[in-house]
Amino acid sequence: MKPFTNTIILLFATLLLTVSIAQAADSIVVFSGRSDKFVKPVIKQFTKETGIKVTIHSGDSTALLNKLKIEGNRTDADLFLSNDAGTLQKGSDLGLFAKLPSPITSPIDANYRAQDDTWIGLSARARVLVVNTDSPFADTLHSVFDLADPRLKGKLGITHSTNESYIAGVSVYLLASDKDKTKAWLTGMKKNVEGKVFNKHSKVVSAVASGKKSAGLVNHYYVYRHLDQHPDAPLKIILPDQGSNDMGLAWNVAGIALSKHTKKQALAEKLLAYLISEKGQKVFADVNREYPTRAGVAASAVVPMAGSFKIANVPMYQLGKYRNETIDLIEAVGMP
Amino acid sequence: MGLASIPLWFVVYESIQLSFGQWQQLWSSRLPELLWNTLSLAVLVAIGCFVLGVSAAWWIARHDFPGRTYAIWLMVLPLTIPTYVFAHIYTTLFEPDGWIGLAWQTVFGSADTIPDIYNIFGATLVLSLAGFSYVFLLAHSALSVSTQTLEEAAQIQGVRKAQVFWRVNLPLLRPAIAAGLAVVVLHALSDFGAVSMLHFQTFTLSIYLQMSGRFDYQSAAGLSLLLITLSLTFLVLERFFRARQRYYSCRQTRKHVLKPASPAKIAVIWFWLGLITLFSFVLPIIWMLSWSWEAWTQDLINREFWGYAFNSLSLAAMCATIATVIALPIALYNNRLRSKFSNALIQVSSVGFVLPGPVVALGILTFIIAVLPVVYGGIMALLLALIIRFLPLAVQSQDAAMQQLTPSIEQAGRILGATPLENLRRVIIPMIRGGLASAWVLVFIDALKELPATLILRPTGFDTLPVRIWIEASEEMLELAAPAALMLVIGTLPVLWILMKNGTSKN
Repeated sequence: MKPFTNTIILLFATLLLTVSIAQAADSIVVFSGRSDKFVKPVIKQFTKETGIKVTIHSGDSTALLNKLKIEGNRTDADLFLSNDAGTLQKGSDLGLFAKLPSPITSPIDANYRAQDDTWIGLSARARVLVVNTDSPFADTLHSVFDLADPRLKGKLGITHSTNESYIAGVSVYLLASDKDKTKAWLTGMKKNVEGKVFNKHSKVVSAVASGKKSAGLVNHYYVYRHLDQHPDAPLKIILPDQGSNDMGLAWNVAGIALSKHTKKQALAEKLLAYLISEKGQKVFADVNREYPTRAGVAASAVVPMAGSFKIANVPMYQLGKYRNETIDLIEAVGMP
Repeated sequence: MGLASIPLWFVVYESIQLSFGQWQQLWSSRLPELLWNTLSLAVLVAIGCFVLGVSAAWWIARHDFPGRTYAIWLMVLPLTIPTYVFAHIYTTLFEPDGWIGLAWQTVFGSADTIPDIYNIFGATLVLSLAGFSYVFLLAHSALSVSTQTLEEAAQIQGVRKAQVFWRVNLPLLRPAIAAGLAVVVLHALSDFGAVSMLHFQTFTLSIYLQMSGRFDYQSAAGLSLLLITLSLTFLVLERFFRARQRYYSCRQTRKHVLKPASPAKIAVIWFWLGLITLFSFVLPIIWMLSWSWEAWTQDLINREFWGYAFNSLSLAAMCATIATVIALPIALYNNRLRSKFSNALIQVSSVGFVLPGPVVALGILTFIIAVLPVVYGGIMALLLALIIRFLPLAVQSQDAAMQQLTPSIEQAGRILGATPLENLRRVIIPMIRGGLASAWVLVFIDALKELPATLILRPTGFDTLPVRIWIEASEEMLELAAPAALMLVIGTLPVLWILMKNGTSKN
């Protein structure tokens, strides 16, 4: 029993040591709700250039926001990164973030940040329709509301309605059109999916590519990601609602906020400054083929050029304000 | 003991703030569906585990065939694979380009008919494969010790051989099977990882979504309270039915003589056991190995990965050690004074097992921040949550071991001049060594696999294997999820071996 006890004590000590190393003085902590593979490239670059170490604590955006809220001033987090403007605005509403200085916010369009400058968008993405070019729907779909068309019964691919991008998209339609129209649209889509939804956007795209489904509603980059691996896939992107009287497509941003309780504001602001610099913007947006939010930084050449299409006129902070209402509507319809 | 009830107080405190109207809204909007989903899943998983576990136990305990000792091992190996890993693997296998999907297309020609597993049947499949070993273990040990005399008596009375199992063995096995199914059902009720990967709305998943999506702790607590009620009702019923049954075995029993099985029977037995093993262990392991190989060739098994493994193993070891030590006085106390109070203590300590992981985690987090903010930031909060969740396992297995202690042995020790502490050290502990070891092992296995509380409470930058599996699986980085899953299996194997050795030496 004796050597065994010693081993345990040794383990205990090492473990406590490893944990405390993670919080050394010249390092900052980012709570990240965005995929590691999209965050790590820009962070690595930052550490290389500045010598500031960054600990990425990843998880579900909303779960991390809960953690931030309950931890209060005991939190280790210096920055909070999320894939969804709705979640960021929720954090602002809960009073978890500090106001960002204007050199950091001013390069970013006012539509892409909080009204009170408590968070900024870093990269933007479009909700688009993806269709199978061999299907009869290749040229007939023009609006997201067309997805409720009964002719798409059994042929529509969408994600589970707990998906952040999905909820944010519905919020935009709710605000850019109206509640009744959105409700009718959801009800129509519910009939079309026949109880079968996908747990990931990438699977929606695969299903459309294989012909199992004819059309789907996804973020634009999932289509390019699929085409990387299957260049011959019969896929086409339709930018919805582009007519002169139409609302335009739904837009959402990934963004970042400064924790109100950070003790390393100076270091954290260095990372923020890097992320909005032209170089940082390019790296951050390019890994996922998103649109940089800083004006004048070009997106990847494969995606439709920014400014060449119409975007629904909904400021991003509204996604947070209308989040609960959106979830209520989705639940009232009983979307799976 | 008071600590163990923190999550319970959290739940009660939050849910009493729900107004009548909010309860009504909860009831009308989701409860009927959640109740139906959760209950039907529990029933189907119980049936699945019964079929797999009892059939395997019957063949193995009552027939002599080549490879029998290996067969026992094959039936418990699935315990090394967590439910969320099963769920993740099966979702990829059933993809049109997954192994099962491809096999399906070869046989049936079309990808359109591949069964969908994002539903109750998928959840049943996954939870049954992950849980039947518990039923197997208990049914097998009960079958191994029961004697043939009753079966022979029944046959003499004219019961046909085929009916003996249903009319004699099954009723005799009822307590063991019930205990096994109770474990499985409680796991199914509180499972978080598998149901969320399969998007099947049970209480646990819904509680998590309420909490994290809407920041609505009160509704989440209200739902938790209902889930606890459901689980406790189930436990009480199970105990009630078990308490009314008494089985006596006669002292003089002949050792069970196993007749060698005929070649045809051997083929049938191995076909069935092979089928179970194929889906519950072989396929998942081949999947893990092939993707781990991919990771190895891409140089992804790096220092970071070994760090996760180290974190996981040491966390589980600490948790198991502390839980075993804490459980000792509780079990001892309960054993000496079988009072209502001590029984109530045991019941309270089992709340941790019934509560969904995310709720335990939030309860602990809220408590520590409010009462003990000094200890926050390190590993303490996580350890506390894991111990609360798994203490019941340690208490129960030590309690069971102590029941075999006769008080006279201790009295003899005292007469011979030993102090109570010396008695504990030199008499009691050596005699319940087996129980202590199984307590440690059971907690270790569950702590190693634990996901939801670890996700919320792990210190910053402290990732464990389950956490990485969760993150990589949600990003579909199979080559990163697989080695972590494989590492969990490898980490569990030696302790499982201890458990099995313990079990077989007792018989």
